[in-house]
Amino acid sequence: MGEDIPKNIRSVKYADILKYNKELGDYLESNFYNIAVFSNITINQIKEICEYSLRTEGINAHVQIGDYNNIVQSSIKFKQSNIIVVFWEASNIINSMPFKIESLDDDQQDAILKKTKQEIDLLLRNLQKTPLILFNKFTTIQFSNFNIRENKYDRLVGQLNQYIENNLTANVRLVDLEKVIATVGVEKSLDFRHFYSSKMLYSVAFFKTYVEYIKPIIMGANGKAKKALIFDCDNTLWKGILGEDGFKNIEMSQETSDGAVFAEIQSIAMSLIKQGVLIGLCSKNNPEDVDEVIKDHPDMQLRDEDFTIIRSNWLDKVSNLKSIAQELNIGLDSMVVVDDSPFEVNLVREALPEITALQVPEELHKYPELLRRNIGLFYNLSVTAEDSKKVEIYKHQKLRESVKQEYHDIEDYFTSLGMKITICQEDESIIQRISQLTQKTNQFNLTTKRYTEGDIRNLNVMDNSKVIAFSVSDKFGDIGVTGVCIIIIDKSKTACIDTFLISCRIIGRNIEFVLMDYLINTLKDNGINSVKAKYIKTSKNSQVRDFYDKCSFVPTTITDLLKEYVLDINDYKPSKINYIEVING
Amino acid sequence: MIISLAKLTILRLLMDDSIEQRIRNVMSAVFQISADEINEDSSSDTITSWDSLKHFNMVMALEEEFNIEFGSEEIADLLDFRRIKLVLLKDLDTGK
Repeated sequence: MGEDIPKNIRSVKYADILKYNKELGDYLESNFYNIAVFSNITINQIKEICEYSLRTEGINAHVQIGDYNNIVQSSIKFKQSNIIVVFWEASNIINSMPFKIESLDDDQQDAILKKTKQEIDLLLRNLQKTPLILFNKFTTIQFSNFNIRENKYDRLVGQLNQYIENNLTANVRLVDLEKVIATVGVEKSLDFRHFYSSKMLYSVAFFKTYVEYIKPIIMGANGKAKKALIFDCDNTLWKGILGEDGFKNIEMSQETSDGAVFAEIQSIAMSLIKQGVLIGLCSKNNPEDVDEVIKDHPDMQLRDEDFTIIRSNWLDKVSNLKSIAQELNIGLDSMVVVDDSPFEVNLVREALPEITALQVPEELHKYPELLRRNIGLFYNLSVTAEDSKKVEIYKHQKLRESVKQEYHDIEDYFTSLGMKITICQEDESIIQRISQLTQKTNQFNLTTKRYTEGDIRNLNVMDNSKVIAFSVSDKFGDIGVTGVCIIIIDKSKTACIDTFLISCRIIGRNIEFVLMDYLINTLKDNGINSVKAKYIKTSKNSQVRDFYDKCSFVPTTITDLLKEYVLDINDYKPSKINYIEVING
Repeated sequence: MIISLAKLTILRLLMDDSIEQRIRNVMSAVFQISADEINEDSSSDTITSWDSLKHFNMVMALEEEFNIEFGSEEIADLLDFRRIKLVLLKDLDTGK
């Protein structure tokens, strides 16, 4: 597209959103990502704002609005959507609810509560196979914000929220609508001019902020969450310039006003580590000086064990960032970089536009807010055990790399690792992790199909599908659940490989071939005659373009975007790799 | 709303081209038609995609574009290009 289309929707006028949204829709060729929005008020303005916001990120969003004031009915009609957003407005459960409720007796109130609970149950039941539901928490803030007295409306809405919190299904995420309204301001969020005539309640400003608020969840579900946060050092992790001010004079202590800003920055980084975000350093500095600070500075919160990667040297930023991406085995578009130098930030934006580069604001008190505002970029639909072990796992990886140098023959090296694959089938406890792998794996992923926890549960209960996950360990430690295969079996005893992926942590160790041996053997034991498979090209998975060819599958269709294969199961040539042990878990 | 012919002429003279163009751009984005197709006589009768929902979209887009807020009676009145222009000029003039 010729002109640059801004991504931050709050800075784009509604008319421009409408205009660009159409252009983006014509331009994007990827599959539709279907979003349905249900409400008991008129919320149609969300359509283009939401589509635009996601289309600028390459997600070909297609928003449909459910039937007005018919949330349960809509849930039948639109249950095939990729995601459902529920705008259930408490004030409109009955007309003038916030005030009429005061005149109702207890029985009548109970009846309203009971009916609404039943509708919530019905809605969630109808949508149990929908991958993801964003459910706005009920709120009274629109009509009750001046009501000082304890009142029946506030109480009823409290009970409804309690009910949904107690009855959440795995595919539901609650959206705290009050946070969105507070961010915009109550008065600026609401527009009563069309409320009494058309039940339109919210302003364009509200919808822009709402969409911005939920966007990270949708990005996460589409495998577009960021994975690593790379800091510069001077005036980015601490106040001052290490090389000039010296070890004793750099500040990051709660005790000084400037230092406290950087103390908070480090606390934010620490909290992100707990969610599985990789924290790195990339700075023009003497490596031994930086090491000394990380090891010995009393005010440092981030220590050596917290950094997955450190590049302190005098090379240019762009080369350093490229090599970081390579070593972490992640795409440049999975990285966020923070730097105080406008020169470096612009350089990164020019040379590596896939990277999100954040500039430390000149006014220091704005710095933590900048980071807080961007935390959503790293949003993980679910935080798993693998996330909290991540840094450790990457450190082991480094160790493996250094040992690798000692071996001339790569097979000898692999043998020395003592690798073990443990197969886990229909294991409830790892569903979250399986779903996360489908959402986050981009490189060694033959079809790049994204699945939510709900999807995986459904695949697990269906007779004709098999979800196989496996974990890998070696003498350096447990690498965790790092691969998934999903097989669909049709009536004619043909198996289709719907998904075959392995995490970047275990790429390059021939694990995929051993896994294929296992898969084919298992299918054979189950009486399968032939196997179909597909490679679907994305911008990131070119390394597996010929994977099935290597596994002796026969291509039937070859285009640039798609390769289709079939394998007569008796023609399969096993890999003959003997240094990886397979254990049935 | 009755506006004398004389006043109308003065208004027209004062009319900034860029304001007309901005209205056209907003209408073009909302109704998904080319800005060139929109003229003085364009109205909810001549533009087929102009339904009640698009009407509200146009109102919100115009308010944002010109940083004003229409009264609810004005909103009901904004059914053709000429009146949109008049109401806008009046509101911009009174600093609404």
